[in-house]
This record gives sequence, structure tokens and C-alpha cells, in this order.
Amino acid sequence: MTSTIEPAAGAAAVPGAPAAAARPAAAASARRGGWKRPARVILSVIVIFAGWAIASTQFPSYILPSPLDVWDQFLSAVGRGVWVEEILATVQHLLAAFGLVIVIGLPLGILIGRSKIAEDLARVPMIFLQTVPTIVLIALALVIMGVSDTAVIGVTVAGSISYFLINVIQGTRSIDPDLTEMSRAYQASEGSIMRSVVLPSVVPYLLAGARITLGVAWQITLFSEYLMGTAGVGFQVNTSIKLLDTAAVFMWGLSIVALTLLVEYGIFRPVERLLTRHVKGRS
Amino acid sequence: MTITETMVGFRGVGKTYPKQALPVLEGIDLELREGEVVALIGPSGCGKSTLLNILAGLTDVSTGTVDLARSDLRSAYVFQNPRLLPWRTVLKNVEFALEQIGVPAEDRRRRAVAALETVHLSEHLDKYPNQLSGGMQQRAALARGIAIEPTLLLLDEPLGALDALTRSYLQEELLRIIAELKTTTLLVTHDIDEAILLADRVVVLSSRPARIREIFEVPFGPTRSLDTIIGDPRFGALRHEIRELLRPEVAA
Repeated sequence: MTSTIEPAAGAAAVPGAPAAAARPAAAASARRGGWKRPARVILSVIVIFAGWAIASTQFPSYILPSPLDVWDQFLSAVGRGVWVEEILATVQHLLAAFGLVIVIGLPLGILIGRSKIAEDLARVPMIFLQTVPTIVLIALALVIMGVSDTAVIGVTVAGSISYFLINVIQGTRSIDPDLTEMSRAYQASEGSIMRSVVLPSVVPYLLAGARITLGVAWQITLFSEYLMGTAGVGFQVNTSIKLLDTAAVFMWGLSIVALTLLVEYGIFRPVERLLTRHVKGRS
Repeated sequence: MTITETMVGFRGVGKTYPKQALPVLEGIDLELREGEVVALIGPSGCGKSTLLNILAGLTDVSTGTVDLARSDLRSAYVFQNPRLLPWRTVLKNVEFALEQIGVPAEDRRRRAVAALETVHLSEHLDKYPNQLSGGMQQRAALARGIAIEPTLLLLDEPLGALDALTRSYLQEELLRIIAELKTTTLLVTHDIDEAILLADRVVVLSSRPARIREIFEVPFGPTRSLDTIIGDPRFGALRHEIRELLRPEVAA
């Protein structure tokens, strides 16, 4: 079986699946380490903030704002309602694009993974999507759709879907043919094989792909907002830096970091744990 | 035991896979009578599994015909590896087979539990396959097969991947289960003792392309056990005869 479709990005995308399986072991060793390991993590955060605070005394605020300046910016943005408004605008772009990627990418990836015809037809479009610069996608979207939420969402889908597809295609190819044959021997319909064998086999790859896709989609959404000037955090960064309001740029950057961590620990990890219960091993 | 009706009749069955010059099966004439256990024994790769695949509807014959006595033939297939769905518990794996034949949800659990009791796995219903030993996984695979109340049981080296000790205990279990079910059974094995212990007839196949070399009637009654037949001189004689018949086939 050839895997000509996977480019370098695919090689980076695929190890996500084994890593997902290995994570519970890491959690167990963290528990064995007791309080020491979390303490080291907290210590690193304290050191970073302290270093930042000290360094900021040596520079004007428009070059390196202090942590307090950034905190003030945050309180002010929340107070004016701007923070919630802009974060919501960006999250809406992101979720719409991410939802479309999954709705389009899951069936398409399974089809490409299972059919040689679909694989051949998809080869060039996929190489195109992987290699075309995001900046060109943005320029084209501006011409075709104008400054709009649709344009931001469109660019994000086009720029991130290949990462998701590559993982779903890999997952589909990882299906154990013995299980498919067993299902056929027990008179399973194609629909039943899809539900009981294909989709569960793809789940770990789907999770790895979703995680990578979301990371890429954040970048492209913010980038598009910055350049197109629609509502959203990207555009706020653009206007803030034009006004040399560096503290605001820091504030938006840290807000996105916090949101990404929230999604990782609040959504991805619990969903992953739920969907991969069976790989716990002997207990 | 009165053996009457013919369940399955292979008539001059041959099989050649596409792009392969050498056929796997050639001129196979064999009848399976209702309720009997037939063991197929022969060298590796000789096409024994192909015969099972034909009966399971997984592949077609190239020449000849397969006559089925009844149109509602329902076969259960137990493979050499358990082939359990790793994301389903043992119970749900057995229910999988029941789902495919349209058993209503409220009956599935009851029938799956009953099948798992037969194979002594009642205490592991909610475990996932990777939490069980190889022998237990294979019991679960057997439960999945018998839960659908098959009219034909296809066993493809069901104990072949297990260690010798587990294997010998499971042979006894299999003997008991097959005797209880009275289902027509076709067993593929590499183990002459296993064939004699479990089967009413032993079919010896040649190396590829597989033809039937000889069919032996096993003289031990339905109440046989490993302990009773092992001291019987007819056991040693039958074993010797099959071994000598297979020797040139395996060496070739």
C-alpha cells in the first residue's frame, strides 16, 4: 500500500495517535511523583513572571509592558465589554470552521482511505491545500467574498482541513481487516461495519487530527482577522499595535493561550479519556 | 447417535484465487451430516480455511457446487485469533453477533449472558478484550458464535494460538460445548489428537492444491474424553495411520 498522499505535515500529524495511548502512563507517573512535579511546573510559571516583571522595569511600556500593565488592559477590556465581544467573534469563526472541517473531513477522509478512486482524485487537491500559502488564500477570499465572517471561516477551513484529512485517512487504513472479515462472516451490513468497526477504529486518529487541526485553525483565524479587518482578536491585535498599545497585544495573546489550554484540558482530554477507555490495559 | 440428513454437500468443489496459478482446492466431495463434527486436517496453507470461508459466504467456489440442505443455514465462525472488537466489552462483543441477525435489544443481553455462561465467562462480562488472557478471549469469541444458535459451526484452528496447557483444557471444554449444542461442526486443525478427540470423522487433505486423501470414522462414542480414549489401542492406531498419511504431504 502506498502512502503517497502524506507529506511532511502528515509525518508530524500521525505520531499523535500513539502519544494519545501513552498518556495514561504519564499521568500515573505524575501521581507517583506526588507533589514534586506539579510544584516544579508552578515554580517555572513564577520564575517566568518574575523575570518578565524585572525585565519590564528596564524598558518603556510600548516595548515590554509589565505584567501589571497587561492585567490592567485585561480588566479594562472586560469592563468595556470588548473582551467578551472580540473573543466571542474569534471563537465563532473558529468553531464554525472547525465544525465544517469535521463534517466535511470525516466522511471525505474515510472515503479516500477506503477507495483507490477517491484517493487518486483527491491527491492533487490535497497537495494544493497543503502547499498554497495562507496569505494567498486570504487574498483570494478577500476578492471573492469581501471582508466578511464567511471569508475568515472559508480561509480557515481551506488552510486546516488537510491536517484533519491526513489523520482520518491514516485511521481508515489502520482498520484491522480481520475485524471486517469477522463482521462479514456474522452477516454485518456495510452500515453496521461502518458504525461498529470503521468509526471506532478511526477515533484515536480523529482525536489526534482534531487537536492538530484546532491548533492550526487558531493561527489561521487570527491571521485572517488581522489582515481582513473583520471583528475578532486578530483585528484587535492589528489596531493595538498600530497605536503602540503593546500591553493590549500581550493581553490578547495571553487570552488566546488561556483559551487554548481551557479547550485542551476542559474538552479534549476528557473526551479522549471517554473514547479510549478500552486501551487502559490489564488492571 | 442417529445421523440422518445431509446439511452441506461439497460436489467437486475447486477454488483458484485470482492471479494465482495453483488452485487451493481441487475436486472436493464431502458431505456434512446433521449434528456431526468433521475435522479437516492437512498441511499449512493447503486451503482448509478456504473451505470454511466458502461456507461462511466470504468467498465463492471456482468450480463445482455447494448444496445446502436448508435455506436458513446460519453459520458461526470462530477464527484462530479472537477477532473481538477492542472498544466493546465482552458482553457487547457477543451482542454484536446478535445485532447482525436482528435480535431485539431486550433479548440480546439475555442470550449473550447465557452464551457467556456456557463458556464460563459470566464473571467477565464488563471487561474489555485486552483485560483478558488469550484463552479467555477465545472463549468470548466462541460465545459470540454460539449465541446466534448457529446451524453450522465453523472452527478455524480455534485453539491454535494458545499455549499447550490452556489448549488441552479448552479442548475438553470444546468437546463438552459441541456435545451440548449438537450443532453440525466443521473444525480445521493441525493437531491430530485434537481432531480425533473432537470429531466424528477426520478428513485428511493433501498439500496444495488440497484434495481429500482419506476420511476416517472415529470409533469413540459421544461420551468420549481425553482420559478415556488415550488408553484405547484404537486411538494409537488411528493416530499412527493419520500421521503416516500426512508425513509425505507435510515434507513436501
